Amino acid sequence: MRLRRRQRHVIVAVVATVAGLAAAAFLLAWSGIYNIAASRGHWPVIEWFLAFGMRNSVELRARFVETPPLESPDLYTLGAGHFHSGCAYCHGAPGIPLSPIAQRMLPPPPDLSDATRQWKDRELFWIVKHGIKYTGMPAWVAQRRDDEVWAVAAFLKQLPSLDPQRYRELAFGGLQVAAPGGRDIATADATSTAVGACARCHGGEGRRPASGLVPVLHGQPREFLAAALQAFAGGERESGIMQPAATELTPEAARRVAEFYAGLAQPPAPARSTQANAAAVEKGRALAAEGLPGARIPPCLTCHDSNALAEYPRLAGQNAAYMSGRLRRWKSGIDAKTETDAIMAPIARLLSEQQIDEVGAYFATLAPTAAGGAPR
Amino acid sequence: MTGSWSRSCAAFLGLAVAGCWNDQAVLAPHGPHAVEIAQLAWLLFAVGTAVLVLVVLALWLAIRGGPAIRSRLAGERTVVAGGLVFPAITLTGLLVYDVAAMRADLRSSGGDVERIEVVGEQWWWRVAYAGRDGRPFASANEIRIPVDRAVEFSLASADVIHSFWVPSLAGKVDMIPGRTTRLRVMAERQGVYRGQCAEYCGGPHALMAMRIIAMPADEFDAWKVAAAAAAPEPTGETEKRGQSLFLAAGCGACHAVRGTPASGTVGPDLTHIGARRSVGVDTLPMTPANLAWFVADGQHLKPGNTMPQFRIFSGKDLDALAAYLLSLR
Repeated sequence: MRLRRRQRHVIVAVVATVAGLAAAAFLLAWSGIYNIAASRGHWPVIEWFLAFGMRNSVELRARFVETPPLESPDLYTLGAGHFHSGCAYCHGAPGIPLSPIAQRMLPPPPDLSDATRQWKDRELFWIVKHGIKYTGMPAWVAQRRDDEVWAVAAFLKQLPSLDPQRYRELAFGGLQVAAPGGRDIATADATSTAVGACARCHGGEGRRPASGLVPVLHGQPREFLAAALQAFAGGERESGIMQPAATELTPEAARRVAEFYAGLAQPPAPARSTQANAAAVEKGRALAAEGLPGARIPPCLTCHDSNALAEYPRLAGQNAAYMSGRLRRWKSGIDAKTETDAIMAPIARLLSEQQIDEVGAYFATLAPTAAGGAPR
Repeated sequence: MTGSWSRSCAAFLGLAVAGCWNDQAVLAPHGPHAVEIAQLAWLLFAVGTAVLVLVVLALWLAIRGGPAIRSRLAGERTVVAGGLVFPAITLTGLLVYDVAAMRADLRSSGGDVERIEVVGEQWWWRVAYAGRDGRPFASANEIRIPVDRAVEFSLASADVIHSFWVPSLAGKVDMIPGRTTRLRVMAERQGVYRGQCAEYCGGPHALMAMRIIAMPADEFDAWKVAAAAAAPEPTGETEKRGQSLFLAAGCGACHAVRGTPASGTVGPDLTHIGARRSVGVDTLPMTPANLAWFVADGQHLKPGNTMPQFRIFSGKDLDALAAYLLSLR
């Protein structure tokens, strides 16, 4: 079909305009005229335009994310622990000023004690999980660990209402960091805020983990602890919280910290975890002690009591929430790469949701045995 | 070209026929029940061959025969006699013979009967013999039977339908979840017979085979006493280390070794595994290397099997474990 002259002219004009714009954009980039400096900032209109696009993109993409309950203290305490080491440097925190260096990023990272109010929970989740292009906001290290991302989102919800005192309680889990002397400050590389301290989340001498979602490491065999740190550092175990922490440790440091926790006695569990439903605990006990041969489930205690290999964890007194989370991750196919995962993942897949909760409840009520694993 | 083609055909036929006379063959019967089945098979071949010859002859006559023969062949009487009466009589006769033979297979032979329970599991055989004191004792994956004594298998399944088939000894009997089926066999000569799960039961079904070892009745009775006993204590240093690894690594959660704390019933009983001939349910010969391979990398050796891979063991650990397991004779 022949086009009329007018129509032909319109098409030619559109094609020429697009080609011209593309050529101009290329010339702009090629010539180096555009100033890429963060020091210069954007024109206000450009800044408005970029923020407008970012907000709409986040709103659209987070629309179909389902929000789980976020009110559990276990969840936001875990989020606080990670926030302090992963986010506070750029975003600040109650009692911790924004870093002047981070503030010269473009755009400057927002002070989250205020900015989080503008976002819905699911949008906070989306931003923490995926990060934001061209802003320096990184994506979550372990993309399959939505449970961890939700912990951070739960904390961000709490953040605006926190004073420095409460923030410290949450992020430090009661850890007292001795004020370093002038010489230490002047000569040591360590930061006084104990950013990398394991004990903030995992507890230490006489203290259990602040969150039930964090494993109790006290009295675990050192081989098991060292292998776990190595698996996190090598990315065989996925965690946006533990991968960065373990990567910072040298093998020697990992060995020493494993030694430290292996030698600690486990503090007794708080009353709330021993008040678990007695019927569930009894079912968990039966599964742990006898297994369920008809369903091919072996008894947990054969591998998880104090006589087992030092590569296996001891489960007596472990936090129920942590245990059921770990079992569910095995069940869903996350955490299946290490040598011990290869043993546990097929077993966890046989457990029903109910059995997972029961067995977690049982081990939480069990008194821990003496510290340290059996020698090999 | 033609020569090599016919040679390959001959070689293939030769192999196929040779396959009918090994230790896993309907046409190599070694017990009364298997003999009946083989006779039935031969009878069916013979009758089938005779019918085929008749049909080919009729076809030849229909094409090449004179007008008189052809019109007779096309007549209604021939069609009724050859197409209705003949098949009805032949097939009824064969059916009667077949049912009679199969009934004999399931009839109790009375007298001294050795009872063995076999449960098909994904993908192995759980075996229980009747002990001397009447208490059953467990074994797995390899079945020993006495020669010239009736053996009654009671067959069940723990999960899906399996089928118990040792062609040289008896016909095929399904193992059906929730039911117990029975099979009687009698081995006429001592030796090793191969059997196989004959009903697709998932993943490594093809590697769910077994050996049935027929031994003289007195040897069998002596073996049974030994097999009912607890496992021997390890004596060598390596074996002792293997045992402590076996227990500490939690093998006993799924496997039992009588006489030790290992009492799991999820997987095969290992009390006398060292006396068995194969690893991974007749997948590989029983050697230390194959045992170690199964423990550390069983998913490559027998893909889909339900045992987790124990890659945590070092080479030395695996050697010690294999030495311990082989000492369980």
